[in-house]
Amino acid sequence: MGNVVVVGAGIAGIQAALDIAAHGIPVHLIEREPTIGGHMAMLDKTFPTNDCSMCILSPKMVDVARHPDITIHTCSEVEKIAGGIGHFRVTIKKHPRYIDESTCTGCGDCILVCPVEVYNHFDAGIGVRKAIYKPHSQAVPDIVIKDPDHCIECGLCYDVCGPGSVKREDSEQELVLDAASIVLSTGYSVFDAQKKPQFGHLSLPDVVTSLELERMINASGPTGGKIRRMSTGKTPESIVFIQCVGSRDMPLGRPYCSCVCCMQAIKNAILIKEKNPAMDVTICYMDIRSYGKGYEEYYERAKALGIRFLRGMPSDILADKNGLILQVENSETSEILMMHPELVVLSVGMGPAESLPDLARRFGIALEETGFVRTMHDALDTTSTLRPGIYVAGTAVAPKDIPDSVASGESAAMRAFRDAFRLRSA
Amino acid sequence: MARTKGYPEALEKKLHDQRYYREDSNPEFTTKVKGISRTIAHMCYQCGTCTGSCPSAPRSTYRIRNFMRRAVLGLENEALTDPDLWLCTTCYSCTDRCPRDIAPTDVIMAMRNLAFKRDIIPVNFLKTVTAIYSSGHGVPNNDVNRAAREKLGLTRDPPTTHMYPEYLPAIRKIIDHYKLKANADRIIKEREG
Repeated sequence: MGNVVVVGAGIAGIQAALDIAAHGIPVHLIEREPTIGGHMAMLDKTFPTNDCSMCILSPKMVDVARHPDITIHTCSEVEKIAGGIGHFRVTIKKHPRYIDESTCTGCGDCILVCPVEVYNHFDAGIGVRKAIYKPHSQAVPDIVIKDPDHCIECGLCYDVCGPGSVKREDSEQELVLDAASIVLSTGYSVFDAQKKPQFGHLSLPDVVTSLELERMINASGPTGGKIRRMSTGKTPESIVFIQCVGSRDMPLGRPYCSCVCCMQAIKNAILIKEKNPAMDVTICYMDIRSYGKGYEEYYERAKALGIRFLRGMPSDILADKNGLILQVENSETSEILMMHPELVVLSVGMGPAESLPDLARRFGIALEETGFVRTMHDALDTTSTLRPGIYVAGTAVAPKDIPDSVASGESAAMRAFRDAFRLRSA
Repeated sequence: MARTKGYPEALEKKLHDQRYYREDSNPEFTTKVKGISRTIAHMCYQCGTCTGSCPSAPRSTYRIRNFMRRAVLGLENEALTDPDLWLCTTCYSCTDRCPRDIAPTDVIMAMRNLAFKRDIIPVNFLKTVTAIYSSGHGVPNNDVNRAAREKLGLTRDPPTTHMYPEYLPAIRKIIDHYKLKANADRIIKEREG
């Protein structure tokens, strides 16, 4: 009986797992984080439909959790891969959760009593969580995790937990899974804006990244959907988006376009402008790449809403006691503008996941110069890696938006299914 | 043409005159600029980060992005006859910030070289040549500086040709080799009589 292992449970991995399991092939879905969902779960809305991201993702997450043929392994990472197509043996390392997964009901009583607050990785660092926590309220599997690095062992959670699921001791486990084929969907990492020190991210409080803004405008995020200046806590009167931060940048070795930032900035600008019509919203860009279905219309809609598209890039963000200063040339008129926005959003690009080089070595697959996974052919075979039986989906291949990630998840699923099916009929 | 420093009227006028035709373009110019500047000028995608970093831009009509565009399009006359060419302070901010790894400052220097071959150069630049020829310095030392240096515990003159005038002939030899002084004198005489 052929199984399939899907590594990475973002939207591409979820889609691949659902499609393979729909054919009756057992799927093991490996996820490093305590919940599945990936980056998509962090986003507020999706373009071009303005659908709430979680509202369209969480039904899929629940489908995965309820599917009889899908086994979710959270807090897990692939250790090594042996064998070849049809007979892979995948060793995974399961990090301790300090929770009995079979008895935890996800009621959240422990979260209420926990006295420790830590910056939440899921909120891109702008919100807090407890030392025993769910990354977000719709986590799948719907159980908590205890963070031993920040737990002070006060003991409150052990006492409050009805089923007694909180463990004092837990250890790493190793699991070996058989697989006919493997789908790699490990996603991307956002560009670290501190590598462009001229923009002052984390030194100027009113400069945030696009991911931080997503969490801020998300109704279930740390500010309850309100845009706040980090310096004063007040709603800003003017916002400037700076595009291509960490994309199309030769000195940083990131020559590629990140595909989503233009649409993401337009989407966030629309959401902000709809809620705050008086707010002055400007997008500084070099080229607007609204290339997909319904995208150009979306761009036009943003312009009609009064969002200002300024073709020109600031080279740095300066600050004095009155606030931020941006020097920008409107390259359509050659006019120099000195802007004083109250909030600046850096549209940070996508890069290969930080763990990808290490993972590629363990998987025995090749990477490109940019750090993304190399596929058999850039146009005609975008899902096969150079090692037979291992397929790749989503943003592990190249920066992609959600529709493209879903499509590549589906196509990798088809290939992985073919290998598993051959094994079963043989 | 009289140089107007008004803004934005002067800018308005410039903008009205921004249509170019095929005969305006000299592909050789792009090659020459790349050769002299040793930078990949043709790779510019006109994002405008250079003007965003330019300290000269908010104070004048000088737009480094515009000169990069002229380099790409081979607009030789446009580039070389524009008096803004001489407003770059060569601070190299644009070179530091260019996302294409181009050195726009070096493009400007290449264009200045090419302009000088056509005798296009402001007289004040030529006076700098004369100053270097006579003293070894573009900005020779003066009594105010000497006093300031003394106060800082330094020698009254820096350890350059000011302190060692015996090296001046060597500097003059270099300048004469390129006929820089002769050309400068000729142009100054033509302009100022």
